[in-house]
Order: sequence, then C-alpha cells, then structure tokens
Amino acid sequence: MVIMTTEVDKNQTKILAKEDITSTSTNTVTEPAPVAAASSSSSSSSPCSSSTSTTKPAIATTTATTTHLQTQSNNKKNDDAPNVLVYRKMEAVIEKMQVESTGVPVRTVKSFMSKVPSVFNGVDLIQWILKNYDVDDVTEAIHFANSLAAHGYLFPIDDHKLSVSNDGTFYRFQTPYFWPSNCWEPENTDYAVYLCKRTMQNKARLELADYEAENLAKLQKMFSRKWEFIFMQAESQSKVAKKRDKLERKVLDSQERAFWDVHRPMPGCVNTTEIDIKKAYRRGASSHGTGSSGTAVHNNPTEQWNRIIALRKQKLEKRTIKVSKAAESLVSYFEQYVDYDYFLTQPEQPNPWQTDNTEMWDAEKVSKDIPLRRVKRWSFSLRELLHDPIGREQFTKFLEKEYSSENLKFWESVQQMKKLPQSEIKPAISRIWLEYLCPDAPSPVNVDSKSVDLAKEAVNATGPPNRWCFDVAASHVYHLMTSDSYSRYLRSDMYKEFLNCSRKKIKSIPNLFGVKR
Amino acid sequence: MADIPKIRWSCKKSLKGHINKVNSVHFSGDSRHCVTGSLDGKLIIWDTYSGNKVQVIPLRSAWVMTVAFSPSGNFVACGGMDNQCTIYDVNNRDSSGVAKMVRELMGYEGFLSSCRFLDDGHLITGSGDMKICHWDIEKGQKTMDINGHAGDIAGLCLSPDMNSYVTGSVDKTCKLWDVRDQGHKQMFFGHEMDVASVYYHPNGQAFATCSEDKTCRMFDIRADQELCQYEAPGKNAGFTSCVLSSSGRYLIASAIENGIHAWDAMKGTHNGILNAHENRVTCISITPNGMALASTSWDQYGKVWV
Repeated sequence: MVIMTTEVDKNQTKILAKEDITSTSTNTVTEPAPVAAASSSSSSSSPCSSSTSTTKPAIATTTATTTHLQTQSNNKKNDDAPNVLVYRKMEAVIEKMQVESTGVPVRTVKSFMSKVPSVFNGVDLIQWILKNYDVDDVTEAIHFANSLAAHGYLFPIDDHKLSVSNDGTFYRFQTPYFWPSNCWEPENTDYAVYLCKRTMQNKARLELADYEAENLAKLQKMFSRKWEFIFMQAESQSKVAKKRDKLERKVLDSQERAFWDVHRPMPGCVNTTEIDIKKAYRRGASSHGTGSSGTAVHNNPTEQWNRIIALRKQKLEKRTIKVSKAAESLVSYFEQYVDYDYFLTQPEQPNPWQTDNTEMWDAEKVSKDIPLRRVKRWSFSLRELLHDPIGREQFTKFLEKEYSSENLKFWESVQQMKKLPQSEIKPAISRIWLEYLCPDAPSPVNVDSKSVDLAKEAVNATGPPNRWCFDVAASHVYHLMTSDSYSRYLRSDMYKEFLNCSRKKIKSIPNLFGVKR
Repeated sequence: MADIPKIRWSCKKSLKGHINKVNSVHFSGDSRHCVTGSLDGKLIIWDTYSGNKVQVIPLRSAWVMTVAFSPSGNFVACGGMDNQCTIYDVNNRDSSGVAKMVRELMGYEGFLSSCRFLDDGHLITGSGDMKICHWDIEKGQKTMDINGHAGDIAGLCLSPDMNSYVTGSVDKTCKLWDVRDQGHKQMFFGHEMDVASVYYHPNGQAFATCSEDKTCRMFDIRADQELCQYEAPGKNAGFTSCVLSSSGRYLIASAIENGIHAWDAMKGTHNGILNAHENRVTCISITPNGMALASTSWDQYGKVWV
C-alpha cells in the first residue's frame, strides 16, 4: 500500500503536522498542511501561517526561483544523494517549461459549462520536448515526459495514473511546494485527513476512486481512536477550501491529488519514490523504527581497527587447510554430484515444470522403481544414506541383522530431541539416558567413558535442560557407524543387490525430498 | 575440468497476485510450494508447479522484508519494519479462514531482515539492531540473543546439517556460528560494502556471498578465507541475493539492475545473465532439491525458472 519516499527530511512534515494539530484545536489558522500554496512555501518553517491570501492559481505564478533556492538550502545535507541530483535536473527542465514566452503553452480551456484553468495538452508538451532537447524521436520524448510525470512534476488533470500520452489530454504543472525535492515523507495521518476531506465535498471530481475508498476504510480502522480528530482537521480544511475562488480551488485540488498519487500511488503504478527500504532506514530517514544507522561501524575507528587487527592475528594463528586443498574439495564435490545438479544433468525423475508431470511429488502414492542414481548416492556418505528415507530403512535393516541397530536408534533419538520444544527436553533427556547410556540400559550404545561422563553430568545438571547435551556421544556413535557399519553396509550383499536390481519393485517409495504435511 | 554449458533458463510460471513490490521468497521443504512477502501487506503461498495461489495471508504490517518457510512446510514466518517476527500455521485456519497466527516474536529494536527455521519449533532471526536471536516457537521465548555484528544483519543461511549458520552484515563481514553457542566461530573479511546475502555450499564447508560492492565471493570455512571472487561484465550493479546449484557448480545471484547472473563457481567465469524482471530483483530462492529457482522483484511479480 505504502512505499517509502526517496529523500527524506522529516522535519518539514513534522512541523506541518504539529502545526496542523494546533491549528485545529484552536480553530484559528486553518490552512491545511499540504495545501499551503506555492507562494507560501518560501517560509518553509511555518507554511501553515501563510494563508488564504493566495488567490492566483499556483501554476500561473510559479516564479519558482525563490522556492527553489529555499528547497536547495533545506537539502544541503542530502546533496550527495542521487535522487536529489535527478530532482534538480528535472526541476531545471520544469522551470524551462514554465517560462511564459518559450515554455509549454499553458492556457485556460473553456469547455461546455465550465473552465479548465492552467492546463496544457500532451501534444504541446511532446512537441516542446522535441524542440528543446536533444531527443531522437517521439517515443523517447514520451518516455522523458513520463518520467517527469512519474515524479509528479506534471500530471494529467483527471487520472490517478501519472503518465503522459501524446494526445489532447490535459496536464498541469505541480506547484514547487509539492515537488519531491522538498523531501516529503507524508504520514498516514495526513493521508487520512486528505481522503476524509475529499468525502466531504460533494463533487464528482473529488469522488474517491475504489482504491482510495479502500485505503480510507483501512486508515479509519487504524486510527479509530484518533478519527474524530482527523475528521475535525479535514472539516476545517475543507471549510477554508470553500472560501477560495472556484478556479483556484480546482487547481489546488488537482495538485494535492497529484501529490498523493505520487506518494500513495494507485495499485499497479510504479512508485518513483523508490529506495530500498532497508537503506532508507539506515539513514535514519524513516519514522518506522530505527536501524543501526551505520554509525556503530564508524563511531570509533581506532577501536574498530584494533579489533580487526586482533581478529586477523587470531586468524593467522588458526590452523587452516590450504586454499588449494579447499578448492580441490569443492571440485571433487562437484564431480561427485554433477549427476544430481538439475541445471547440468537431466533429472531421472521428470522435471515437473518441464514435463507437466507431478510424479516427483506423487511418488509416495505410486509404487515404482527406485532410480539407480538415487541408490548410488547412498555410497557418497553416511549423511546421504540417512537423508534418504529408503536408504535409512535399508540401513536399519542391515544393522538389525548385525545386532547393532541401537547405535542408529540412539543417534536418531538425539537428533529428534533437538527438535523438541524446550518443555519436552527434560523428559527426553532422561528417556535417552535410561534407554542407551545408563549403566544398566536395555540397549547400551558403544561410547567412550568420557562421553558418558559428559552425558551423565548433563542429565544430573540442575540448570535448564540442554538439548545438545548428548551431542558428543552422538557424534562419537556417528563416527563409529561411518567407519564401521556403514562401510560394511556398502560392501554387503544387501546394498549390492539393491544397487544391481534397483529396478525391482517395492511397494511404496517415500519421496526423497518429500515432507509430511 | 571441462567448461559447463550456459545455464538454460526458462520462465515456467509467473506468480501474479501481489500489487506492490515483492521483497522476499522462500521455498518449502517439499520443493513445490513457496512463500512470497510483498509491501502490499500480504504473504502468498504458491504452488509453483501450477502457479496457483494456495493461500493468501494478510499481515498486520505491510512492511514485510523477509519470509521463511519451515522445512516441514507447516509454518511460515515473516517480519520487517514492524520490528517483530510473526509466525503463521499454514495448516490451521482462524475464524476468518486465513492461516492462524501462532506467535508474534517481539523485542527487536530494529527491523527484521532475515529469518530461518531450524525446525518446526525453532527459529533464528537476524535484524537491523545487529542482533541474532534464537527462538523457541512453542513458548514464544527467546533462547539466545547475540550481538552479532557491527551493523545490520542482512542475510542468514543455515548449514545443510543444520548445526551451524553464517550471517552476512552491513559491517562488510560474514560470521560463522554454531547453533548452540553465543560466540562466533569464524569471521570472514573481503567485501567492500554491505553483504546482502549468504548461501551455504551443499557440502557445508564453504559458502557464497553477494554484496553491494558488485561482487560475489566464495569463502571456505576450513581454509578460513576467500576462495574466489565473481564479477559481472561491466560491473555495474550490486547484488541482492545469491544461491548455489546443488552440485555447487553454478553460482546464481540477483542484481539491482533487473537481472539474474550466473557464474561457474569453480572457474570464476561469468556464465550468463537473464533479464528476469522489469525492476530490481529482490530475492531468489532455489528448491531444496535444486530443480527450480524462484525470483521476486519490485515489478510486483514472482517468477519460477527451470
């Protein structure tokens, strides 16, 4: 619904909001924040006090220079931001367009019953761009005009979609006060006031679009407690508006609408005030909380460097393997797994996206052969074998034959325990202890006395139960399985048989990647 | 070693439905469903095979920046500028028919930038207040609270065996952690700007990173240093998110400039670029079985690539 604005100098909006509040409560100054007209914005610190005296349509009077300078000085601190540079360029173009003699011809159009003040049409605009700028063709000119419109510098008078087409559609210039370079980051309350205000005027041109009505409903829910207040504010703003000259009102209304079209765009429109929200956050630009603002990194360079030096020293002393060895291991991993990389090798099971065949996910239900490639994978490592449900089943069977299945069971229950919620850890610990580790356990596992001691300590500990307390013992058992039973399993007839006739039917194959839902 | 062929891309499905920038995507353990989070304030769970929406979860805050699917497919988590992590049970509906909210994990002082499920009961998050937190979902309790980095945590990836994880941060470093401990095990330098995302090599001994400094890198854990650096021709865009193919041969990263790049991770050569979207690509996610890739973008679409 809402997207962050680009350049953000919150102060201004905040001041506005605050003064708004005071103004409604005292019921004296009634100029609404966003409607503070063009001429008033030069005193940006108190635009609300400016007033109802602006009578000329803003667009015609935009000498712009004073305001513009003001804007610039306001934004000194944001000067380096890329958006500001773009804004400045765009504003230069807009100013050129607004020069009376050489700019885009702006006129007041008479239609059937009413007048449409200060507009220009799309054809004139595109012609002007073609004449004044070095653009290749009409398409480029339209694109250029579109980007100006997307930033709200000019807008179609009766469409929420900020775009330009090369025809007789009427457009209007935005008042400099609403230019994005003024670092607007309007709040939802302002938006609520604006929408609320529009519902008060009984005019077709002010009717809310569907998405706006939806937004209004949402905001009403959100600000339910403040709503009375928002309503009051909207009321007083609309009262002021009613006192204005009709044509001026038309212009101001449309400019305000365009402002919100930029900052709360219609769904489906691309928002131009785009910046990565994380970035905006970090610059301290957003009001929606605080990021680390990046200062922590820089606030004490000496300390930072000392820390890094210490860490690097530590690193030098650490035992590591050579880079060449590491690279080799990655290469050999690739060579082993190349058959399983679907970006390189056609999968054995048909790729459901390509073949329109959901076999991969339905394998559980159908009785089918186990692909040879899958069985081969079991020999890569014990991890691979245990990762595959069938592999695990086969290995369990094998261990049962060898009367050493308790190792695997112990390891499995330790893994299982890690996934339990904290409340169930304690009973699980004692269960495992009694089953596999304590002196007269029914199915004792073969672990060294050191691991048993560690486990014993954990079981008798009074503190909060530790879900990892059997890890040492478990990894011991795992190692034992790898070096002993696993290698024997790979050499066993059982595996060979499986490998040779992996085509043989079995009743059901759990999906390798399948997960119970 | 032979060269690998140019990666073959084709867009199999467009995930249409969000009406604002889509910020994050993550696959479920079944390699079929994925969840996307968008600034329109919705999570959508997709069947990527059919391209249909399975569920739409309206959020209380629209500012979602990260999403995660639990490996079992039972839960999704999301969070962002609301400074909290919210967990929904996909299989249970509340009275209005949307997925039931199970937990709201609060207590952050910054936005939530990354989260991953260890299993259905445990979650690890990284946030803008530089912290890494471990949560017990059943109780809704924090079990660990680590001052992880000297800048926002940006990316988090669990190792294939789920015993350790790496984090990438705005402080330009990556750190390796044991899920059991408070202190980091190793620290990796090299990037010159924010690390945006990290991804474990399937062998669990190395990980890939991508950064705003317009490079991707591979770090090896046992060698404790950088192995390789990857750049796009022209080197004109920072990266937002990266993954490795299931053999670790292709490194795939999404760029700010609308494209998705691929490299031969072993040779360091650029393998190709795909003009995937019409605006910044925010996140990519690969299915656990490595068959398909999903990407999301500011252009309001998600896409599935095979």
